[in-house]
Amino acid sequence: MADKKKRRRTDSDSDSQPFKHLLKSDEQILQMLKSFSSSFASSSTSKPLTLADLSLASTCREVSDLPLSSVQSNIESLVLQLAHQILSGQGFSFTVPSRASTNQLYVPELDRIVLKDKSTIRPFSHISSVRKTTITTKILSLIHQLSLKNIHVTKRDLFYTDVKLFQDQMQSDAVLDDVSCMLGCTRSSLNVIAAEKGVVVGRLIFSDNGDMIDCTKMGMGGKAIPPNIDRVGDMQSDALFILLVEKDAAYIRLAEDRFYNRFPCIIVTAKGQPDVATRLFLKKMKIELKLPVLALVDSDPYGLKILSVYGCGSKNMSYDSANLTTPDIKWLGIRPSDLDKYKIPEQCRLPMTEQDIKTGKDLLEEDFVKKNPAWVEELNLMVKTKQKAEIQALSSFGFQYLSEVYLPLKLQQQDWI
Amino acid sequence: MESEKSPAEFFAENKNIAGFDNPGKCLYTTVRELVENALDSAESISELPVVEITIEEIVKSKFNSMIGLVDRERVDAELYDDFETAKAREKRLAKEARAQELQAKNAALGKKVKESAAPKGVKGRGEASFFRVTCKDNGRGMPHDDIPNMFGRVLSGTKYGLKQTRGKFGLGAKMALIWSKMSTGLPIEISSSMKSQNYVSFCRLDIDIHRNIPHIHLHEKRDNKDRWHGAEIQVVIEGNWTTYRVYSIIAFPIILLEFSLLFKHSKILHYMRQMAVITPYAQFLFKFVSDSPDKNVTIKFARRTDVMPPVPVETKHHPSSVDILLIKRLIAETSKTNLMQFLQHEFVNIGKSLAERLIGEMGPDFSPKMAVKSLTDQQIVRIHQLFRQAKFDDPSGDCLSPAGEYNLRLGIIKELHPDMVATYSGSAQVFEGHPFIVEAGVSLGGKDVKHGLNIFRFANRIPLLFEQGGDVVTRTALKRINWNTYKINQTQDKIGVFVSIVSTKIPFKGTGKEYIGDDISEIATAVKAAIKQCCIQLKSKIVKKMQAREQQERKRNLSKYIPDAANAVYDVLKEMAKSHASKKKRFAEKDVDILQKVANQLITKETLKEKLTEHVEKVDYEMALEYATQSGVSEEPREDIYLQSLDATSNFLDFHSTTFIFRLVQ
Repeated sequence: MADKKKRRRTDSDSDSQPFKHLLKSDEQILQMLKSFSSSFASSSTSKPLTLADLSLASTCREVSDLPLSSVQSNIESLVLQLAHQILSGQGFSFTVPSRASTNQLYVPELDRIVLKDKSTIRPFSHISSVRKTTITTKILSLIHQLSLKNIHVTKRDLFYTDVKLFQDQMQSDAVLDDVSCMLGCTRSSLNVIAAEKGVVVGRLIFSDNGDMIDCTKMGMGGKAIPPNIDRVGDMQSDALFILLVEKDAAYIRLAEDRFYNRFPCIIVTAKGQPDVATRLFLKKMKIELKLPVLALVDSDPYGLKILSVYGCGSKNMSYDSANLTTPDIKWLGIRPSDLDKYKIPEQCRLPMTEQDIKTGKDLLEEDFVKKNPAWVEELNLMVKTKQKAEIQALSSFGFQYLSEVYLPLKLQQQDWI
Repeated sequence: MESEKSPAEFFAENKNIAGFDNPGKCLYTTVRELVENALDSAESISELPVVEITIEEIVKSKFNSMIGLVDRERVDAELYDDFETAKAREKRLAKEARAQELQAKNAALGKKVKESAAPKGVKGRGEASFFRVTCKDNGRGMPHDDIPNMFGRVLSGTKYGLKQTRGKFGLGAKMALIWSKMSTGLPIEISSSMKSQNYVSFCRLDIDIHRNIPHIHLHEKRDNKDRWHGAEIQVVIEGNWTTYRVYSIIAFPIILLEFSLLFKHSKILHYMRQMAVITPYAQFLFKFVSDSPDKNVTIKFARRTDVMPPVPVETKHHPSSVDILLIKRLIAETSKTNLMQFLQHEFVNIGKSLAERLIGEMGPDFSPKMAVKSLTDQQIVRIHQLFRQAKFDDPSGDCLSPAGEYNLRLGIIKELHPDMVATYSGSAQVFEGHPFIVEAGVSLGGKDVKHGLNIFRFANRIPLLFEQGGDVVTRTALKRINWNTYKINQTQDKIGVFVSIVSTKIPFKGTGKEYIGDDISEIATAVKAAIKQCCIQLKSKIVKKMQAREQQERKRNLSKYIPDAANAVYDVLKEMAKSHASKKKRFAEKDVDILQKVANQLITKETLKEKLTEHVEKVDYEMALEYATQSGVSEEPREDIYLQSLDATSNFLDFHSTTFIFRLVQ
């Protein structure tokens, strides 16, 4: 209660917070959100399309979750093939699905990037591929050990088993994705996880490895998103939407102000580029709870890029886009048009660098942007004005402007695209 | 009452703008002014330059005797700035003792200790060093009667015409004379003789700075027995040789490494070396002489070519490069009477029809026949505005004299001995009405070149050594060239980047005119393009070399990975064999065979390694064969070499044959 009183008091001196007068009462906004949320839930019941539905299964490659035993036998049959080749004196080689950008395809019906069927041969006895081939062999043998012992390790653990061979973690990580592709399974099926990065707070209760977690009672920092999704279950929530936040700073603001108590919601962030665990978690929430996802990102090309990774997947992991992507994410803010609409002062806007502008122009060529005319318009505006702004630019009207005026007003106006 | 300052006084008071900031830089600038004058002089008569520079260190006692001052011992020690008080002495001794103790300890532990720096000699403020700088050339020389004014009078104002010149301030030896007057009070000595003069002019003079006139001590004609022509200038100045160190990146010619550490970083030697790079048709003899023979240095930068760039020609101003002041001066000095003739004759790229159109555009109060000297200030401003806005053809680069790709290449090879070198000469381009040409060279490897980028900058064929951080060349090479694209490693490889820019006006930045700003996009683009062109040439050479190396190292590089790969495969096989033996899993017929062999130690790690090794050897042999048939016998492109002509006095013996003569030099 004390918390509420405090807020009322800050409300009274609202001169420095423009547009505050436009805000309707919380009850009205809530009413509106409820109707939106329920209409969303009813519309999203249809089963998502698959590659097979579009008869693309033969020309595109997709992986699925495999049980550990299948992973093990896949590796074993592959290694036996290698052994045959080696013993017959022919050296050996792998056939690795290509993850190059030329082998990626955006499928509008699915609204995500998928991997085409091109493969490259990786022979041991060629100077340009000998390193990668050896690393691939080593990773296979390590995954085989994991499957025998049925344990999980992190990518970092994997790297440290042979630092001399792998040289840096980028190399072992890249080969790990290759191995996923080759074996036709998701990376989580390999029992290799990335360190925890994402956090979640708000009106969500779920079980993590059997323990019930209430995300409203996780303190300010929230709950770290578990790295392996298979131990997450029993999701319950009375939230009206999921708020996806690009950055830690905005997340902390919203968590501390307990924004989710004013407007029931679940707040998630991956602190920058999303990792696999956060993407899987978001997908799971969306499917199980049937909630709309609203995104709060910086108004720069990278904000949109991050949004696209959640939405349509990254090129690097397009082989698993079916499991990793959450379609139909709404771009709530901060959008280039908001800069003028909310009169964000000049000193809080940054000029875009040449690199930024190039990235922006490249994005305009991407299919996942083109499919949404409203996004194209916003991005065009950004490239034209050559200005960008971070979420924190709103702090110029007070640190709590984001949670007290900007977001409520956005929600009230249903200003998302 | 304030009196008007003479130009000499102005420069005496603002000597830093002419490159005379401190004693170290004064010595450096004196040398370079003399050397550049010498080169200009020889080139003006198309003579291959031979320049001798001698720097003679003069200790204080010798200097005092030169000026007739008696050396005095210090009597009242405490009077002096460098007097060590008892307290300071105690402190210093304690510090030295500690250092010694530490050293002894380390020595006892058998550690290798760095030679501790010798305690610095305490040097007080008044302890100046003096140098006699002598520069002798084989140039044009000077007319006997002009000599006093050429040295003893500083003229302000720029020259009438426009020309690519070496000098940055047009002061040359005059500034050295002003500095000698300020620091030593000793006069300058000039010997000069022109071609076909049977005498040598000798002149000893100093300058009356206040009145800006020469003060002649001696001016006479002497015998010219050797038929020598050229000039020899000798000046005694305060300077600094030992402490004038560089923190720059340029490495040193091999010959110098034999000399004492003292010389390792002298800016003057850097200058001489870079000058030798850009002027390979000149011969330089550099001497440093002092009382202690171990400090003495003699370096000869030999001539490598007799191809000399043409003398830059004087050109008229381009209309888009002039300002109002310059227009006024041109009007004052022109011999033409009417506006039409003035426009046609005092500027480049204004023909008759263009002049008519321009006058028409100027407005109704202008006419072709109007007297040019009657133009009002407003009218001149109008002309200037039109010059700024109208379109003119670009000035041609014909008036420029670039170093030439051939000479730049020779210079680089001669002074750096690189493994690879590529050069490129761009076409003339324009910045604010001034034509410029950018030439570049990129070298890889070489003697005494440090790892990473070594940047050599030249403007109007003189090296730039200071303030390289902001320079357009440095910034382009560091930030805008993606060396990786050309298979060059920016940190590991020894990269030499040479860029020479010539122009009728180099847009220098900074008071010392030591660098060219990075903000001129025309020049930045041209520099980038020239360096890129060199890199493209290098890339094909590098790729070829890499392929050849790959051939040699393929077997080793492949074999290196055999153990890792074999182990990884074997580890999985072994686990499978175990689960097969314990009947946990079923396998196909042909696989069972392998697994059993693994279980019975018939197939081991070693088996896999052997098989892989066999395969690698086979592949290596096949690919080597393929490479040999594809590449064939390749030849490196040949390069012209310059053979130095022998002195006529050499004795030789001819062996005659029917087809050739073999000459043995004795």
